[in-house]
Amino acid sequence: MPRISGVDLPAEKQVKVALTHIFGIGHALAAEILKKAGVDGNARTKALTDEEVGRISSVVESGYTTEGHLKRTVSQNINRLKEIACYRGMRHRKNLPVRGQRTKTNARTRKGPRKVVAVKRSIKAMS
Amino acid sequence: MSRSLKKGPFVDPKLLKKVLAQSRGAEQPIKTWARDCTIVPEFVMKTFLVHNGRDFKKVYVTENMVGHKLGEFSMTRIFRGHSGIKKTEEQQQAPK
Repeated sequence: MPRISGVDLPAEKQVKVALTHIFGIGHALAAEILKKAGVDGNARTKALTDEEVGRISSVVESGYTTEGHLKRTVSQNINRLKEIACYRGMRHRKNLPVRGQRTKTNARTRKGPRKVVAVKRSIKAMS
Repeated sequence: MSRSLKKGPFVDPKLLKKVLAQSRGAEQPIKTWARDCTIVPEFVMKTFLVHNGRDFKKVYVTENMVGHKLGEFSMTRIFRGHSGIKKTEEQQQAPK
């Protein structure tokens, strides 16, 4: 089980798929990397020689931001927006959609599970 | 869609003139309605009063803000909570 870009251990899958288990590498980038490294993407990961793994990992490390580094970059960008108190930053702070989506309905990904507001009882029921 | 690079960033010409004229003088906030004006490096360390439709919000420009628009820092909406929430709290506190 080869390790590429720190902690990742792609499994018994084709190399082109296994690479997408690295945060920051999707199918397109995986294909690009394999082409640069000169490795056949259809081969199983377990069948890779150490030398091939070395080539792939050197390509990944030289040209791409992945994993922790990428996560840090993203959160830094968001924190910058929060600090300068611009509109997008405020939306991030409030955990609401940032890109102008509607919030009257939907937006549950950002807002989280529905919070039920207690129903106001009618005057008759109260008396 | 992003703006064509050929044109460069949109900077309100009048506002830019005012900023440059002020460069060495006494620093006074510049009142402006140009919310669509991109913040360029010349604006850094300046204070603007950006109109939000009702009044002018003070915006002190820092280096991080370059590339954003002035309007992004002057909120046009005030969220005061949803109707009903306050009422239910009162109901819960009041003895039955």
